[in-house]
Amino acid sequence: MSEMWINMGPQHPMTHGLWNLRVRIEGELIRDVDPEMGYLHRGIEKISEDRHYNEVITLMDRCCYVAGLAWEHLYIRAAEQALHVDPPERAEYLRVLCDEFQRLGSHLMWYAAFVQDLGLMSPFLYGMRDRDLVLDLFQSYTGARMTYEYMRVGGVRNDLPPGFTASARKVLDWLSDRFREYDQLCLGSTIFRKRCDGLGVLKGPDAVHHGVTGPMLRSAGVKRDLRKDRPYAVYGQLDFDVAFADGADVTARYLVRMEEMRQSVRLLRQVLDWLDRHPGPVIAEHLPRWLGAPYAPIGLEGYLLKRNYPKGVGFSAVEEPHGEALAYVVNEGGEHPYRVKFRSPVFANLSAARTYLVGYHVADIPPIMGSVDVCVGEVDR
Amino acid sequence: MQPADLEQALRPRLGEHLLGVEPFEGTAGKVRFDRSAAVATFRALHDELGFTHLAMIGGIDWVAHREVVYTLWSDAAKQYVFLSTTVPADDAHVESASGVWPSANWHEREAWEMVDITFDHHPDLRHLLMPDGYAFHPLLRSFKLHEPEELEVKVRHV
Repeated sequence: MSEMWINMGPQHPMTHGLWNLRVRIEGELIRDVDPEMGYLHRGIEKISEDRHYNEVITLMDRCCYVAGLAWEHLYIRAAEQALHVDPPERAEYLRVLCDEFQRLGSHLMWYAAFVQDLGLMSPFLYGMRDRDLVLDLFQSYTGARMTYEYMRVGGVRNDLPPGFTASARKVLDWLSDRFREYDQLCLGSTIFRKRCDGLGVLKGPDAVHHGVTGPMLRSAGVKRDLRKDRPYAVYGQLDFDVAFADGADVTARYLVRMEEMRQSVRLLRQVLDWLDRHPGPVIAEHLPRWLGAPYAPIGLEGYLLKRNYPKGVGFSAVEEPHGEALAYVVNEGGEHPYRVKFRSPVFANLSAARTYLVGYHVADIPPIMGSVDVCVGEVDR
Repeated sequence: MQPADLEQALRPRLGEHLLGVEPFEGTAGKVRFDRSAAVATFRALHDELGFTHLAMIGGIDWVAHREVVYTLWSDAAKQYVFLSTTVPADDAHVESASGVWPSANWHEREAWEMVDITFDHHPDLRHLLMPDGYAFHPLLRSFKLHEPEELEVKVRHV
């Protein structure tokens, strides 16, 4: 049978964003794939070179629109290292709070979109309903549901409003009951199992070789989680397990993400307890004034300080909901970063598409790509 | 793993092509190597030292020269390490790492189109994020923002 190339995208229900999967098919069989990216490229790394350090945070929310706070955290850690600033401990706990709620929000969004690809409509509505509770919490302390701009070099913008921890615990209680229902809906469904079991197999050594990280890697039996292996913020003081599975297929990725949500709930309960017991400042004192207020007149003294500010290079690694995210920030003195470089986990997971798509059928593409959890914003940046 | 350990392990294999190992907070160190020994360096870190995961390749334009920074991770040591090599701006090329780590493929495509560093023997060096035939390298310092008129003229369509 003759082969041909077809385009799945840039507008296709499977893509969940603007990108194009070129597929070479022979009948119904996938012979080769070639993802085409760049439809959402906004040049975030270039624009960052033209902005004050705190102004880059705005771009981070747009970088990954389902996990904005995780990306803020990533950038902030690198910027703080480059600028030699230390945040107070309460700010670190608040950042972990953001990270884990963001993981819940992102995974719920993934769950809703993924099961809808499989033709199951009710889980989609349940997933979106429960994600809204997480967004309500974000709105109550950051003021926004999607573009938060909450973190700052040296800490976070503001503390939690009164009564936040009580309502957060209610949401966690609600969610931990829901996970059981999700499992019944999906794992108990014959349609779900037939479309997921044994598909998109990517074994551990191949996954490592191709730079795959996050739930995709852990579903292949490799227990790499930066929160455990290279604890940042206050993860070293918190108690949780790394979610992993051995199946290396679509179902295994589902299991890993579900378990990660349960572990996030466990982490969040500890963080909320700590926050209740330890009030304190949420942003570092004695920040250089030019760093705190980009457009305030800073006077001669400020300019001298800025000119003499030590140079530095910052590097941070964060376990974002999609996997391992890295940031590299070069500070050559002056008010703008000299160079900012990000590593997006989905970028690497997509670059390995050939390894987990070739050999399957065209109808398997939506469940397999759904299990990758593509966020185009962070791939294209 | 400390910078001294890296130096001790790499010096016999690379000799004078190892230009030094600097400490870098939060990582095992930053290994500076000469680009003529690129593949030997990659092989040593991948095969001997267990850095099996290539996380990121980034190019930095220092105007007179360009720097390529590789970020590697070892599951055994649970540590990151940086590799760094410099190339002159008028002769910016280095051997591709995709023969050692397949994950280098897309990172090198991006570094090539953004910072104009050519990776020799790359299997598929073409545009990734920018459109085909795009004539600029946006992350070079010489690429200024706020000059839209000039951009429109120069874009070449194929």
